[in-house]
Amino acid sequence: MIKIIFGNGPLYRSNRRQVGKLFTPSVTVAFLILVTILLACLLAPVLAPCNPDAVDLSNGLAKPSLKHLLGTDDTGRDIFSRILFGGRTALTSSLLVVLISMAIGIPLGLVSGYRGGMADTIIMRCCDILLSFPSLLLAFIFVAGLGRNTYNAVLALGIVYVPMLTRLTRSLTLVEKNKVYVSACVSLGYGESRIIYRHILPNCISTILVQITLDIGYAILDLASLSFLGLAVQPPKADWGAMLSEGRAFILDAPILFLTPGFVILLVVVSLNIFSDGLHQYLDQAQTHLPSFDQYERRMARRAAKGGAVDG
Amino acid sequence: MGEGPDLLPINRGVPVGKFILKRLGQMILVLIAVSILIFAMVRITPSDPISSMTKGKTISPEARQELVEHYHLDKSNPEQYLIWITGALRGDLGESYQYKQGVTFLISQRIGTTLTLVILSGIIAMVIAIPVGILCAVKRNTWVDKLLSVITLIFVASPVFLTALVFMMLFAQRLHWFPAIYHGGMKDMILPSIALATSMIALTSRITRTSMIEQLTSDYIRTATAKGIPQRRVILTYALKNALIPVITVASIQVGSMLVGAVLVENVFAMGGLGALLINGITSADYPVVQGVTLLMVFVFLCINLVVDILYAVLDPRIRVK
Repeated sequence: MIKIIFGNGPLYRSNRRQVGKLFTPSVTVAFLILVTILLACLLAPVLAPCNPDAVDLSNGLAKPSLKHLLGTDDTGRDIFSRILFGGRTALTSSLLVVLISMAIGIPLGLVSGYRGGMADTIIMRCCDILLSFPSLLLAFIFVAGLGRNTYNAVLALGIVYVPMLTRLTRSLTLVEKNKVYVSACVSLGYGESRIIYRHILPNCISTILVQITLDIGYAILDLASLSFLGLAVQPPKADWGAMLSEGRAFILDAPILFLTPGFVILLVVVSLNIFSDGLHQYLDQAQTHLPSFDQYERRMARRAAKGGAVDG
Repeated sequence: MGEGPDLLPINRGVPVGKFILKRLGQMILVLIAVSILIFAMVRITPSDPISSMTKGKTISPEARQELVEHYHLDKSNPEQYLIWITGALRGDLGESYQYKQGVTFLISQRIGTTLTLVILSGIIAMVIAIPVGILCAVKRNTWVDKLLSVITLIFVASPVFLTALVFMMLFAQRLHWFPAIYHGGMKDMILPSIALATSMIALTSRITRTSMIEQLTSDYIRTATAKGIPQRRVILTYALKNALIPVITVASIQVGSMLVGAVLVENVFAMGGLGALLINGITSADYPVVQGVTLLMVFVFLCINLVVDILYAVLDPRIRVK
């Protein structure tokens, strides 16, 4: 009875992970996929077999062949090359989004958490207001006001991501500022900015890093959504989101046109999520389990396999 | 008995009525700030609304003057804001630049589609996600749980319009189970609703799983099991009741992303709801439409969060204690 309710696994073990081990099999695979895609996009001018913007109307919607690995789109452009170059647009712009949100969000969070009082109240109320918008909706009106192009979409999303990062940094700062080392810094007469940036920030950065790897994935998704609605990257520029948007017209005749960029986006975001999760578990030692437990479990499992159920 | 130790006064928090009033006041303040932000953002780059009304055609100075006066464009921005917001309080969101019709009227024509889509997919999401979450929690670390967690991982990472396009390709165009284009019937609504529900199903089922595991491994469940209460009842009445609290919080926050997701899904299935109105408004610089639709969406989002907050405060007095 108990065994059925609690499932077959041990109660406390949700994920088998050892202390101090980042590269578990799934994280390794995710990391390798990310590195491969990143390198492929970086080396696009070398790797791409064709010019991504070379139009060849006589060879539209060609089937995959040796010359065109993934075939061509309606205007005869090589899809494989466009995926490589599109990755440059998609990845650099989502990285920019995250950098913008870091540049604004982290200092605000640090100041808000460390100083408290009026500054804290003002910053937090502003965050509340921004967070009362469903996130992409806020990006919509930013783009509506600034004009529809890639730079504005990147800027808009960068600002949209600020409040979450500010809140996270603030909550981490609130924990750190009561620790002894901060009192030590204060008694040594260090200035506020020195304490904040050289002592508190390095202690918060690991948790922020986890959030940032997640945010890159969200930024790719949100930028693709904006491009899909025609609010960010404008065709004919190669970009995963824009390619998806262009490809939807050929959903019956050539589904490969929208399936390829869609698959690549999915691959990158899933890998980023797995990597971020692994990083989280690695950095947050409290959630990992001591190896001795694992060894103990395995011993118990072996014994159970030999001599029947232990807890039945 | 009077000689006994002083009992600590029990902190019962603020009464429910006062709590509701306080949250309502906060919401009104946020709404005012949001409306100012929307109004200012839309106008951040100066553009000529008259050209978006006339679609670039040249018109006589008299006609131009008439349009300027009709839309209060000769007034200063703060004055225009006051006109807009006092109108909004009466239910009048101004007049669209390109349709020459009231924004309230335009919204009322299209809101049915969007609301049906969001509500239907919300119901689908909850009906699927909670049982799946319970199943994963009960069978955790087995192949069922692992398979479902891989599927959830994919659906969380898939942009909603990609899911919608793939569903459209598979179920509408290849298998012919559903119509590919929305004509207004309830049957046309099923496929878009499922597509919109997927990411919410993925997130909600994960939360349900975590929350259920936490409950299932707690002492009171062990006690209940030890007393011989049937397993089904322990899971479905004892554990689920307590496990649902975080699930509802996450689901109510998810409503916001579903409203935006609806914009994308409507675009894929050519549904012509609020999303189409909003995107069309953005691309043609139709400020009143953009303002009106955005304000409405934020309002709905805030109202749902408020209702959930109040529901909690009534059900769980600990939340009122600060």
